[in-house]
Amino acid sequence: MSSGQSTTRKPSNFSEQVLEELRRGLPRGEIPAALFGNDEIYNLELRKIFARCWVFLGHDSEVPASGDYVRRKIGEDNFIVVRDEDGEIHALFDACRHRGVQICRADSGNTDIFRCPYHGWAYDTKGNLLGAPLWKNAFGGMSKEENGLLSVANLATYHGLIFATLDPTAPPLEEYLGGMKWYLDLVFGLNEHGIEILGPPQRFVIDANWKSGSENFSGDDYHLGTLHRSVWAIGAFPVSFPDNMMGYHIQASAGHSLSFSMAPTEDDPGPKFFAYPDDLAASFNTARIDQEQLGVARRSRVFVGNVFPNFSILAAPMTDDGVHFPPTGVLTIRTWQPMGAGKFEAWNWFCAYRNMTPLQKERVYKSGLASFSMGGVFEMDDTEPWILAARTGRSVTAEVLDFKLNYKMGLPGVGISKRTENWAGPGVVYSPRYEEGVQRNFFRFYSELMGAERGSWPKFSLD
Amino acid sequence: MGIPSEIAVGSEQYARVVAWLNCESELLDTGQERKWLETMVSKEIVYQLPLRQTIERARGTGFATNTFHLDESYGSLMSRVVRNESGFAWAEDPPSRIRHFVTNVRVRQSENDQLEVKNNLMIYRTRRDQTLPQLLSGERQDVLRIEDRVLKLYRRTILLDLTVIETHNLAIFF
Repeated sequence: MSSGQSTTRKPSNFSEQVLEELRRGLPRGEIPAALFGNDEIYNLELRKIFARCWVFLGHDSEVPASGDYVRRKIGEDNFIVVRDEDGEIHALFDACRHRGVQICRADSGNTDIFRCPYHGWAYDTKGNLLGAPLWKNAFGGMSKEENGLLSVANLATYHGLIFATLDPTAPPLEEYLGGMKWYLDLVFGLNEHGIEILGPPQRFVIDANWKSGSENFSGDDYHLGTLHRSVWAIGAFPVSFPDNMMGYHIQASAGHSLSFSMAPTEDDPGPKFFAYPDDLAASFNTARIDQEQLGVARRSRVFVGNVFPNFSILAAPMTDDGVHFPPTGVLTIRTWQPMGAGKFEAWNWFCAYRNMTPLQKERVYKSGLASFSMGGVFEMDDTEPWILAARTGRSVTAEVLDFKLNYKMGLPGVGISKRTENWAGPGVVYSPRYEEGVQRNFFRFYSELMGAERGSWPKFSLD
Repeated sequence: MGIPSEIAVGSEQYARVVAWLNCESELLDTGQERKWLETMVSKEIVYQLPLRQTIERARGTGFATNTFHLDESYGSLMSRVVRNESGFAWAEDPPSRIRHFVTNVRVRQSENDQLEVKNNLMIYRTRRDQTLPQLLSGERQDVLRIEDRVLKLYRRTILLDLTVIETHNLAIFF
């Protein structure tokens, strides 16, 4: 495996220079390549982005019972996401308060006590310190209350999706999501049952930068025609490349972007409701969403989106075996966990609506696995350009020749995409999807956060 | 499956299974994926690579029962073969260089005349100018059966010695 780390030493103000180039270049769609491979930038990201933003940790269906826990990450650090005896979910920093030893021994499980293997400090599922061996002799007189596990600053769920932030000055989750809520509603809230997670997440490590995943899922539809051309050869995906470019690119709110492949009219032939089975689609209603959201979902062939910084969502028609099974709606969610400027770990979960039949859940799972997983016919190609982009990201030549990445598609005078007001939902909307404003929105919020001091937040409005 | 009985090392039947495994590895290591699928694999194949988690000893091995990295049928395996032949399979074109090392072959005959074959697998994989290989180690639990007088792969479960997989894709055949 090639090393994901840059070995070149940069002047200490290099990252400031790169971020200044980003600020200046963004309106022209020019982004410095070093964002995808420079160690200084990466170390700033851990503090300015991951230690402040609302980060996705999991879904509440992964910890259904008291004592259920999963081990998850914010930035590079482990957190125990656990449901306590009262049914409340906590995200506890996985470090014993005594010597900082990680106390969570497994990826998932059920317990009523987390015990440190070093000296035996023991904590309950709320993170309270219960005691330690020979407590009176060792620690009698010391407060237990002040020595519980550290917790995230705030934790909240939306449609069962668990998010947490390490910054007590972060706005509430729903304010942070802003216009993105409207779109999460019509993906995760199509009926009163909602979704559940099918099994533990796949995890795989790639020698690439985490932002390649985020910006791709912010709405890079244009790569399908080339990178994913093989999927048409095997009948895995039912919409042609030009037809699939029809639809909308949406900057839902600062940092959060998404994209719909959508038929021009309601009556257009082709997949409806992401090609979910008809009898499931018959259960979709306005219990959690309004009529306009339901209408948008009905016309949708593909939804792809990213909640800043690294939580991505895809709903699309897929099949594992185009000869025997027509494509069906697949819903996958994933995070791109940073492990360095040139390395990340992808976590991939498959979701199903709770009221699907067992057979439908099996079709969804198999189709998702065969398309959007590390062995899937779509995703196995995605990792290839991300690895190669990261090499340019750590390139000295790119640095000295002032190499800028091109995010100009859809800028005034570039291509055919135009801003439209003819749209029911929130955000800045462009159509058709020949457009990279969705990525520029990601990098604009990124740029502002990278320049913001702890405690101050960039504005969330778009205009 | 019934109660299986062990086939002795050195027996004619054992030698036949080992020869079959060696032939399979040769086809997979030399890019003859279509020939492998069409001549050595049953149309009723179930080919699975279960997902694994790190869990406490008391809770078992950590292999998921219904969650996979790969869960393939003959049709989906054929999709992969066709994809690799499409000229646009960027992930495997140019192909990575792979080598299957198969050892510790254990063969049992089950009552219904199927052969249960456990074997240890190491795949050595490099691509482009990589010098450090990707190594994938695990156990294959295969079931072979005779179809039209030819030995075919009827079941394959791949139990990898990994929870987090550090390889850019699983475009290879195990």
